Amino acid sequence: MVNPIHIVSIALGVAFALGFLGKREKLALGIVYTALAVMLAISASWLSHFWGNVTEPIQIFTGGFKPPFAINLQMGLAESVFTLLINTAGLLGAIYLANELLKAGKNMMIVFLVLVLGLNVMVMTRDLFNLFVFMEIQSIAIAGLVILNPDRKSIPAGFKYVIATGLISSLLLLGTVFIYYFGGTLNIDFISQESLLYVKGGSVAIFLVLLSIVLELKPFPANGWALDVYEGAHPGIGALISAASATAGVFVLDKLMVFGNFTFFNAISIIGAITFLGSNLLGIKQDNTRRLLGYSSVGQIGLIMTIIGLKPYLGENTKFIALAILLSHYLAKAGLFWLAGMVNADKLKDWGAIRGHRIYLFLMGTFIFTLVGFPPFPSFFGKWQLVMQLANNHHFWLLAIILIGSFFEGVYLFRWLGYAIKWDEVEQNYPKIKLNQFIPTVIFAVLAYALGFYFGELSGYKSTFIYMAAAFIAFLYIFDFLPVFVKNTLAIGAMALYYFANQDTFHGLTSIFFIIFVIGGIITLLAGYTFKGKRTGFYPLVMMMFAGLIGLLEAKTTLEFFFAWELMTAGSYFLIIRGKKSMEHALSYILFSVGGAYLILSGFGIAQIGHTGMGLDVLKDVHYYAPIAFTLMAIGFMTKLASIGLHIWLPGAHAEAEADVSPMVSAILLKAGILGLVMLFLSMGPQKLFGIDVLYVLSWVGVLTALMGNMMAAFQEDAKRLLAYSSIGVLGYALFGLTMMSHLGWLASLSIVVTHFMFKSLLFLAIGGVVMRTKTKYMYQMGGLIKQMPFSFVSVLIGIIVIAGLPPLTGFGGKWLMFNAIMENGWYFQAGIAFFAGVISFLYCFRLIHTIFLGQPKDELRNVKEAPFWMLVPQYIIITILLVLSALPNSMLKPIGQILLNYFPDGALVWHGQLAIGPYGYWNGKLILAIVTIIFLAVFAWLYIINRKAQKVKQFNIVYAAERPFRPETTHFAYNFYAPYQKALGFLVAPGITNFWDAVSDGAHAIADKIRSIYNGNGQTYLAHILGFTVIVYILMNGGF
Amino acid sequence: MAQYLTLEFIAMLTGFILIIIGLWGMITQKNLIKLVIGFSLFDTGLNIVIVSMAYVKNSTAPIIDKAVDVSQAASKIADPVPQALVLTSIVIGLGVTALMLAYVLRMYREKKSLDINSYTDLRW
Amino acid sequence: MIKKGLLLILLVGFVAVISGLLINFTGSNELNPLASYYAEKGPTEVGAANLVTAVVITYRGFDTLGEVTILFIAAAIVGFFLKTMNADTNRPLRLRKTSEILETASTLLVPTIFMLGAYIFVNGHLTPGGGFQGGAVIATGVMMIILARPASQFNHKLISVLESISGIGFVVMGVLGLVLASGFLNNAFLPLGKLGSLLSAGAIPIIYVFIGIKVGSELTSILDSLKENQNEI
Repeated sequence: MVNPIHIVSIALGVAFALGFLGKREKLALGIVYTALAVMLAISASWLSHFWGNVTEPIQIFTGGFKPPFAINLQMGLAESVFTLLINTAGLLGAIYLANELLKAGKNMMIVFLVLVLGLNVMVMTRDLFNLFVFMEIQSIAIAGLVILNPDRKSIPAGFKYVIATGLISSLLLLGTVFIYYFGGTLNIDFISQESLLYVKGGSVAIFLVLLSIVLELKPFPANGWALDVYEGAHPGIGALISAASATAGVFVLDKLMVFGNFTFFNAISIIGAITFLGSNLLGIKQDNTRRLLGYSSVGQIGLIMTIIGLKPYLGENTKFIALAILLSHYLAKAGLFWLAGMVNADKLKDWGAIRGHRIYLFLMGTFIFTLVGFPPFPSFFGKWQLVMQLANNHHFWLLAIILIGSFFEGVYLFRWLGYAIKWDEVEQNYPKIKLNQFIPTVIFAVLAYALGFYFGELSGYKSTFIYMAAAFIAFLYIFDFLPVFVKNTLAIGAMALYYFANQDTFHGLTSIFFIIFVIGGIITLLAGYTFKGKRTGFYPLVMMMFAGLIGLLEAKTTLEFFFAWELMTAGSYFLIIRGKKSMEHALSYILFSVGGAYLILSGFGIAQIGHTGMGLDVLKDVHYYAPIAFTLMAIGFMTKLASIGLHIWLPGAHAEAEADVSPMVSAILLKAGILGLVMLFLSMGPQKLFGIDVLYVLSWVGVLTALMGNMMAAFQEDAKRLLAYSSIGVLGYALFGLTMMSHLGWLASLSIVVTHFMFKSLLFLAIGGVVMRTKTKYMYQMGGLIKQMPFSFVSVLIGIIVIAGLPPLTGFGGKWLMFNAIMENGWYFQAGIAFFAGVISFLYCFRLIHTIFLGQPKDELRNVKEAPFWMLVPQYIIITILLVLSALPNSMLKPIGQILLNYFPDGALVWHGQLAIGPYGYWNGKLILAIVTIIFLAVFAWLYIINRKAQKVKQFNIVYAAERPFRPETTHFAYNFYAPYQKALGFLVAPGITNFWDAVSDGAHAIADKIRSIYNGNGQTYLAHILGFTVIVYILMNGGF
Repeated sequence: MAQYLTLEFIAMLTGFILIIIGLWGMITQKNLIKLVIGFSLFDTGLNIVIVSMAYVKNSTAPIIDKAVDVSQAASKIADPVPQALVLTSIVIGLGVTALMLAYVLRMYREKKSLDINSYTDLRW
Repeated sequence: MIKKGLLLILLVGFVAVISGLLINFTGSNELNPLASYYAEKGPTEVGAANLVTAVVITYRGFDTLGEVTILFIAAAIVGFFLKTMNADTNRPLRLRKTSEILETASTLLVPTIFMLGAYIFVNGHLTPGGGFQGGAVIATGVMMIILARPASQFNHKLISVLESISGIGFVVMGVLGLVLASGFLNNAFLPLGKLGSLLSAGAIPIIYVFIGIKVGSELTSILDSLKENQNEI
């Protein structure tokens, strides 16, 4: 083992020696790299020494004397990890900055090297004054590196940094010398807390020391100087400050917290939480890339401060949580800063320049998902563990603050990512890949995945399925150059393989979802054969979404469930954003998803209080606050199924998606919400929150969702939006059925779920085919397509018959069951609304078929062809299944009923062959199908005979007769089809909810804008902030002076 | 009150007063040079505080010579530690002040202004 | 005005916070155990008559290394500033006329000042003084040269080499302490000698010479950088 002191001797020796080299800058840089590499190797060798072998840290006595008489350095597991992080960021950061350093010359190389050295010693030293000296080295070195590229931005930023850190370190020094005066030593291990806090002066000294360390970590709002540096400095330096310097600072704070008592820990956690919330809130108003990253850095460090402050509560878990979040921050922030340097786009929207560039987007996506805390990255596990522990300690306020802060962070990070993927108002311009910048970034991205795996292992997360899925996704990503045909076959093959390997694994209710997810996935994937070329990036994402969905079924623990949930969200987000004009919709989708996921997460957190395991069965036995946990989770799941109030993301997201993505996200993905509710309702049953039956409230939400969804569907001009709204309505029914908590209610609900999968895929595929051919989604621009697209017409016809719940097809069965169940429950009001909503669904069904397929064909659409063959294949598979199930309803309802008997033994249907007998009547599917078919044929024949005499109307007979309308579509009959109804009922569907969410968003932006005006750019104001922060924290901690 | 009428306390008080004056200068003076002078005052005050801390009643400088014998050193000398610290502190102060002044020079060269209010381009 | 009032309140608040330090300060009647240790063991363990030097160079020598590093990077940064500034401005240099008296006096004084500086750092382990003080005194000599002969140019190469040699020397001394004696920066790998004599205290005089040269050259380099940025000298 090399003595760690040689980190110092090598760094300084090399730094001093560079003076000999004169103008040989390249040689100098090479030597600096070597020195950094050796420093890295030393800390790595110590890490390997301490890894998995619990030994006391070693002490290095400088001066040759034992502490407290001389300064000692310590190298243990923690120190080796942190110095390794610092030196890695140092070496890779220096490689990244190769050109800048060469241009700036050896002076800056010296400063760079000394900075890394200073950070190393900050971690290792056990002497307070020595710590002060090396923190000064750090500050001065950063102040020097800020002007690596001196310009009008960086110079004032650097000056503000110098005066602010000058003041802060003076406070540190003042505290330090008084600790010596009152404590008689400067050695951290010898300074005893009791003797110091006992005297007033001693406690002030400790306060000043700890506070100045906190100030170095840039707490909100005393951090304007730091934000300026992040914005003004070269991104490579920003990366170093954010990753390496903050890492060392965090370690120092943790090291010095031995001085503090409980009050200090509390204060730190509160300061951290406020910083996290505050900076992320201000971040949402930010449009400058580097400053945005600055806000995010400050926020993340605040979060880690909170964790350090919570040490007395978190105990042994502190290490895991803090490291998971710190590492994610370290990798992601350095990576994003580096990326920002490569892409070199000042404004967030300018990132649209890299849209379509696979590698840049892959890196950016990796880092952003790492920051937000998505699986499989370490922060996901860290955040999970943090939430669980906060709940265990009943720290609900802190929990809320942290999740809200994370949400804000999601807002700006995903908006940024959206711009990079989609913003097409800037010219596409791929920056040339420079290897010295590219390689460090890639290394960090790879590390993010590797460490995610490691932290997953540590948290006891092991899902063979997810690992296999991940391997397959990676395979698809690497072999993305293959043609669609091959990849589609592979994807279908994988799904089929999974199906056959596991068809006996799932029993009970999960088997229903298993069929929907897997078989549904295969059927919708068939449509993928339509596409030509490579369809870059599509298959890894689809597989990610399906892996998440299946992961939900495979999950045995709450952690596995949540992992899968987030995986599915991530996959579907990327699928949705692939669509045209989908940037905003994908953003609102992911934000609602993240918000919902946080509610679920906190629900899980509350549910496991007092439990040791994390198995999903903890939900069956919730010790504390069960109604609250129940409500949180219910709302979380309802976000996914777009219940009224939480639905505004859905129409855009589903309508703008690609032709075969719409059926996936609409017909399959939404069922994840139902799955969650099923699991939740079964485990926790009815809950009373403040004396109100939550399920009763949800039943109203369900019927109202059905009503509003259907109404809004009826008033759409856009065919895909119509279908999207109709999904909202149908899932409202499904929710309503579940809330009844009875056999019939659930049978109705689940049969609707299964049927909805079929008719919604059918309709979205059919309409998707039409849209593909007609190149428009507006129904008034179609019309009369029945001759050109007869197969699609039949599909839509069958689809709407099912959707409207008309006999003879299966939709009717669902409705029939639903009304039976409602009567049984005695919910007559809801019954009325549900019935009314059903009537409205006729309206949009009629509109859909009439305006697209009937009436006069448009001139320009006379030559459209039938939908592509591979779009029709899945449709006709579904139609076949639908017809079979309609004729033999017991082939679907009976097994579901059988499963439900385990949960709801009473009130089941009684079956006699195809005859189902419920409490309020009976239904024979086969008979009805036969009767209706006969009647239909009879009426059809009669109409056909009569209508032969009808006069054929020429295209221009009616429309445009004597007008020159400015908006010609307004004269089309299909435009504003239901104007009279809209006049009568339109107020109900006025975009009140959208307005509400817009107001929430505007409000948050306005608040952020107001608050950030404290950062007026004046260095002196920042000094006053620092001073004010000190005084206020002191008063709050001591209740006076 | 009598306990405060000692040499070291008065020196210490002087240091604190300098710190306060320096701080006032740092937060109120718009001129960059004056701001740096404020910092320098703060720093000097801090150094005086450290030095006055080293004083032990009726002691002499911590140097072994004719006046102080090795055997009785512990009872005769002032605390050498703060004196060592102040040396470091002075040098660091010097480094920081030099850096600040270099920044001021450079800023003045860019904008021909010494008013801190003219350097608020980066904000929010 | 309101703003000033607020700042005043802020300052008063801050005074209230730090007054906690002052009111408990009662001076000391005797050395604390740590300082007593230095007083008792210092002369034998380190061998320096000046106990402050013993603390500065040996017991807390690591601080001093950091301190030197700070000066070093401060000089490097200021030097970098200068370079980039000269690169982008083409300014006229006006030289002020200096007085005859100053020029003559400097010829006489500068060597003396340099010698005094050297004396101070060579005797740093015996008398009040040391490398920093000596180095600073040398820098005042440089200052005088700048004032007396504004046109004079310093040999950057020489300054840079001096900086490097003295810096490396310091680090090497530290490593030798680690290899030959009990730890990094321990001075006892050379004979401690007789307390109070010039050749005593092991490596301390050598280290102080390095520090003296280092500080002198750093400060010179800072002064030089600042000088070269004047329009008028």
